[in-house]
Amino acid sequence: MTPPEVMLAVKVLFGAPVAAILFGFFVMRRVKPEWTHLPILASCAAVTAAAACLAAYTTAKHCLELPVWTWAVAGDWGVAFGLRIDGPSSAILAMVAFVGSLIHVYAAAYMKGDKGFARFFLVFHLFFLAMIGLLTANDYLQLYLFWELVGVSSYLLIGFWYHKESARKAALKAFMTNRIGDLGFLIAVLMMIYAYRSTRLQTVYEFMAAKPSIYTSIIALGLVWAAFAKSAQWPLYYWLPDAMEGPTPTSALMHAATMVTAGVFLLIRSWPIISAVDGLPQLIAWTGALTSLGAAIIAGTKKDIKRILAYSTVSHLGLMMLAVGLGELGTAAYHLIVHGFFKAALFLCAGNIAHAFHQSTANVDETGGLRREMPFTYGCFLAAALSLAGAPLFAGFFSKDAILDAAWHHGGGLRVIGMLIAFGSAFYIFRMLFLVFHGDRKEQSRGGRHPHEAGPEFVLPIFALSFGAVVLGHGSIREWVSNLMTYGMRGVPMVLIRLKPYFDLPGEPALPALNWTVSAFGTVLALLGAGAAYYLTMVDSGWDWRWRGGFAEAVFESDFGYKIIVGWGARAVSWTARFTGRVLDKNWWDGLLESSSDVLREAGNALASSAQGRVNDYLWWMLAGSAVLLGRVLR
Amino acid sequence: MNLTAVVWATTGSLFAIGLAVVTFRRQLLAMLLGLELMLAAVNVALVHHAGLFDDAEALAVVALVIAVAAAEAVVGLALILRVRRSGRGADASVLTELRG
Repeated sequence: MTPPEVMLAVKVLFGAPVAAILFGFFVMRRVKPEWTHLPILASCAAVTAAAACLAAYTTAKHCLELPVWTWAVAGDWGVAFGLRIDGPSSAILAMVAFVGSLIHVYAAAYMKGDKGFARFFLVFHLFFLAMIGLLTANDYLQLYLFWELVGVSSYLLIGFWYHKESARKAALKAFMTNRIGDLGFLIAVLMMIYAYRSTRLQTVYEFMAAKPSIYTSIIALGLVWAAFAKSAQWPLYYWLPDAMEGPTPTSALMHAATMVTAGVFLLIRSWPIISAVDGLPQLIAWTGALTSLGAAIIAGTKKDIKRILAYSTVSHLGLMMLAVGLGELGTAAYHLIVHGFFKAALFLCAGNIAHAFHQSTANVDETGGLRREMPFTYGCFLAAALSLAGAPLFAGFFSKDAILDAAWHHGGGLRVIGMLIAFGSAFYIFRMLFLVFHGDRKEQSRGGRHPHEAGPEFVLPIFALSFGAVVLGHGSIREWVSNLMTYGMRGVPMVLIRLKPYFDLPGEPALPALNWTVSAFGTVLALLGAGAAYYLTMVDSGWDWRWRGGFAEAVFESDFGYKIIVGWGARAVSWTARFTGRVLDKNWWDGLLESSSDVLREAGNALASSAQGRVNDYLWWMLAGSAVLLGRVLR
Repeated sequence: MNLTAVVWATTGSLFAIGLAVVTFRRQLLAMLLGLELMLAAVNVALVHHAGLFDDAEALAVVALVIAVAAAEAVVGLALILRVRRSGRGADASVLTELRG
């Protein structure tokens, strides 16, 4: 029997955002557009409370599966929409609701005075609602619908300033890339319907436990492909760095809470399917590790502060993928949660800087020494950066070291790559920190602008996020997440058999212990990275400008040449589209149809001239016809 | 001489005359008369063959044909009247709206 407060929380979880969006769309937007954020912020508060209530419920080792409505019923088949509140969904939902709400608060201040304020907030909240629906979906088809809704909302937000051509292009790029990934999801869903005659999560899990069929590998590959697109992994990562064209709160929401985490969540959800395919987890782990390393290197070369953070997100998502591929779902989810806090904080700090410069983003060329003007932003950025780099006792230390530990135990190349990522992460984030907030370099010029610290409505949400990025490493939080992941999956029959470290424990899962060797290595490498960043930005301060212009810049700007290949691919696709459109369709096919219709028209004209419209002629024709018929009958 | 042969000859020539009138004449009223002539020929032939084969159904068909002929005459005359009133005479050669 479900407690009434849980039922209420479930209703609030969807009712509040839907009501806020409808009210905002039909009433506020017309009556008082600059107040559109008020009902939406109220809805954020309600959703956060509901998410907390559901997290408490699942922490008490309950799971809830709530059928809502069956769609497309055909005989015994149907799509049973419903809610599945279990460990993975409620743990990530709690983070999404909390972080997302703080970003909403920030956005209210950041977007004030923008022409499209009402539109921004409505789409922003729709994005949030889509992610809530995705996390609580009970059925793969339902998950797919919200998955697409997330994609559409991100498209609308990236292209929010549609008067900029770069924003329109970036939005299209993000949307198209995600469509390529979604194709995999669609194939997987169709295969599920074909093979299992159901898309319900629990039913699919039970099928997987009973008899993995040959369709399993197709389904699993499709889901992984979709997750790679959404979570910005190689080969489909390239949309994310361009998605910076949207307003900064969009980037924060997309990178921390709503968009890119969906892919990791899908893999956690689909782990029973994925782990049944030989070699696929290893593929995920290696792709994640290599993407992470590559993105960490490129993040250390970028000039645009939001672009640095975007590559950092790709890198951290790669780490999560690495954890998922190694079967450490709890670690992946924990890093996802911690990452949500520090990445949101970093992005909002970047938003403060952009706001201070009255631009949509800022460049390291025009910043430098900002800690004097923006001490509070600096403090929050420093805390989040330390967390990201894995400074001991910060939250990122525990989450990242858990992943490095998993890679360490796996051994081989992953061990080395994990350590290189630790070095790279510390390097790029401290390079950014020093270049933006420290120093007084002759290469940097503010162009006569005088940045100022943002007001309290800007810094308070950032402060809350940085605080989370610092304290979330506390043992109780780690234990809470790993418990949630275990109990959440416990309703899944075969998972207990197949899953490695976290899930084969018969009793209470222990708090993931720190591996001191790994932690020591990781910390030393992070220190080395930070030291290298210090040397190359503060001691040899012109380094960043010296290496540019040559071959090295071409290599890094093109993501080791991959962007060129993608460009060829895109050109090939558009050339094929033009060829089919202009030559095949317009010239050949249309030409064929038009000439055949010409033939028909000419024949009609020729025949028409023989018909003079005289009644007696028709009578003769009739007579002739009757004679023929009569002849046939009498014969 | 055989009665059947006489009936065949009479009704056949009546039918042929009616057909010729319908197909060769252009005057609408004459064409209608030709039609009536064909129907009458068929009726006479039917009556004779009903007696020949002791078949009452043929007589029922005759009654139906008479009714149809009456209805046809009414409709046909009304149409001819409309055509005449439109001021184009009652001649089939002017009704060429179906010209291609």
